[in-house]
Amino acid sequence: MQKQIVRKWITMITAVCLVGGLTACGSGGSSGAGKDAAQTSKETLAAGTEKTAENAETETSAEPVTIKFANYALLEDAYTDFWNGVKEGFEKEHPNVTIEWVTAPYADITSQVITMAGAGDKCDIVFGENTWISTYEDAGFAVPVSDVLGEDFVSGFHENAVESCSIDGTAYGVPLYVSPFILYYNTDIFKQAGIDNPPATYDELLADCEKINGMKTADGNVIYPFGQTTASVPISGTSINSMIYNFGGQVLDADGNLSIDNDGFHQTFEMLQTLDDKGYNPQNAKLKDLRNLFALGQLAMYYDQSWGIAGVKAINKDAETYTKSAVPLKGGSGDGASILSAAVLILADNGDARKEAVKELIEYILRDEVLGDYLANIVPAYPAMKSMSQPDNAVLTGAADSISTAVASPSIPQLNDLNLELDTLAQAVTVSDEDVDKAIEEFRASAKTLLQ
Amino acid sequence: MNRSKTMRVSQGAQMTRKKRDLGFSLLLLLPAVVITTIFILVPVIDSVRESFLDYKMKNIISGRPGEWNNFANYIKLTANAKLGPAIVHTFLFCLVVVLLQFVFGMALALVLNSDIKGARFLRSIMMMPWCVPTVISALTWMWLFQPQYGFIRWFTGIVTGGRVTDLALLNNPSTALAGIAIAALWKQIPLTTLLLLSGLQNVPDSIEEAAIMDGANAWNRFFRITLPYMKSVIKVVLSMAIIENFKQFPLIWTMTGGGPDNSTTTLAILSYREAFVSNNLGSGAAVTTVWMLLMIVVVIVFNKLMGDNQTT
Repeated sequence: MQKQIVRKWITMITAVCLVGGLTACGSGGSSGAGKDAAQTSKETLAAGTEKTAENAETETSAEPVTIKFANYALLEDAYTDFWNGVKEGFEKEHPNVTIEWVTAPYADITSQVITMAGAGDKCDIVFGENTWISTYEDAGFAVPVSDVLGEDFVSGFHENAVESCSIDGTAYGVPLYVSPFILYYNTDIFKQAGIDNPPATYDELLADCEKINGMKTADGNVIYPFGQTTASVPISGTSINSMIYNFGGQVLDADGNLSIDNDGFHQTFEMLQTLDDKGYNPQNAKLKDLRNLFALGQLAMYYDQSWGIAGVKAINKDAETYTKSAVPLKGGSGDGASILSAAVLILADNGDARKEAVKELIEYILRDEVLGDYLANIVPAYPAMKSMSQPDNAVLTGAADSISTAVASPSIPQLNDLNLELDTLAQAVTVSDEDVDKAIEEFRASAKTLLQ
Repeated sequence: MNRSKTMRVSQGAQMTRKKRDLGFSLLLLLPAVVITTIFILVPVIDSVRESFLDYKMKNIISGRPGEWNNFANYIKLTANAKLGPAIVHTFLFCLVVVLLQFVFGMALALVLNSDIKGARFLRSIMMMPWCVPTVISALTWMWLFQPQYGFIRWFTGIVTGGRVTDLALLNNPSTALAGIAIAALWKQIPLTTLLLLSGLQNVPDSIEEAAIMDGANAWNRFFRITLPYMKSVIKVVLSMAIIENFKQFPLIWTMTGGGPDNSTTTLAILSYREAFVSNNLGSGAAVTTVWMLLMIVVVIVFNKLMGDNQTT
């Protein structure tokens, strides 16, 4: 009997400990967030107090400040050293500022940042892409860049680069470097096929594809003439959208409303169907697949952003010897315009002290010896700042003119999902071999529901 | 007189003990109730509530509650041509994978339960796919199925003597779901086998021997003795498999992203796209609510079909 009582008490104590432990874990998390929020308000308060003092600026810069920088690229080997170097170099110059990294894989960083902000722990900067901006703005996270960097910051950047980061004329991201979707081609395959110059129009493309079709690599693998990504990932949709601009068409009007009743839109999907029917374009391929095929010498030409060539070189370091770039193709009544993609910094408002530190950090990153070196040696791209020299990169030279014709696509919070719908439309006319008009009507219905 | 008094005292003591036992039982249940309430019931109720609201990312950051939107999320969902196919894909995927998983798992368990040489080694090796994280499995299978330079394309070319050179399961809308099912089976069969093997090892040898002495053949022994004795294990195995595949997300999202042409868009994919790609949490919660209701129906039907856990 006594034994039973002892056993009961032991069980009871264990149960209480279990509940207590779990509760402590839960409150631990929230108190952590609370501490951060308290720290934030302390800093804001400190900054506010200092502002009222006569020598506000000097004191603010001397006050220890920690800024939170959300950066997925830190988890990618190729970029880790650069970003750690930025932290080290900046903190050396600004001993009062500490950069605290917040990392998550590319696909998860936005959820991570939004969830943290919801818990009162808002990052100060997010490194991302211009297609993310509308999501951050719509979520109430991003503030106009002019709030942090001042009204005249735009004057230092190329106009279309700023436009690609803007919503209703207000910039919500600092563009670091940009690229349209450019045409990469394999000079060895072109030589074997007897093609002297890269195509300038889609008609010329079809003619060149015919010459390349049927060719094989030395080890007997098929060589695909042309690559346009159509797999179910948002970047494929961006690339297809860019192709629509090649044809002078559009998906959204300037106000972000669905606008697909134009020839360019229709002609793009007819072209995708033609390329598929003739077996010129690898079906349902991701950009990664196209880069692999290009690196293996199994793809004669393909559309990619300038930094895509880094992925090709990672597979085949000799790829640079046979790779050249050209401006996007002209189709229909279009003039070969393309969508401008940009790597950006999205900023939040965590009080004056942290905003000041963020401003200093951005000025540091945008220096020629920091970002210029990055563009020259790590990520081949075109700088967004006017003062920064174009990278000395032979591969990118052929497509340099594409920057001036590239346009900024309207930014809406549902952009990524709309891009997935464009992928579905491309797949409908290729792998499902559906009639183009019917597939477009299905797209219209889906897109309308999506944009409600 | 004394006897009835003693009985009354004894009954009173029994009642007190019963009350104390009941109180103690409730106390023991308390952690489970608290944990279930905090981590399951509250989020589920909150999700259902959000499905009736205009609730987006900005509500999370600003801390502003969502606004009632007159069933707009559900109206949008019914207007969405993807919902019907997504339900069909979810059920089809779940049914095929669960059935094949059970059949292959049972076959492997029977083999491993026999006296074959190296059974223990095989058991260890067999568990490897189960230990691989789902996303890694998905990436591996995606590369194997890659249509231009994947191993399976090359291998089928070799096996068929060059007659089939363009096998691309994930590229074809009519076979893409089958491609994902293969990856799911590879990942999930090991655990099913292990659980069924443990069930097989608990079937009493004496009953089997008695059946043999009565002249029962292997077929009859398996269906009339082994399977009924394993009913509780089978119920657990099937429940786990149904839940796992009804909510399957990482395999599908990584391998096909719901494509090509929406042919692998299940309720899990649809819910994720609404909530985290379109950034509309209310609309995503509406899909999740429909999904949860369907899951409840599946569980009820499953429990009806399986009956209780009695072996006889």
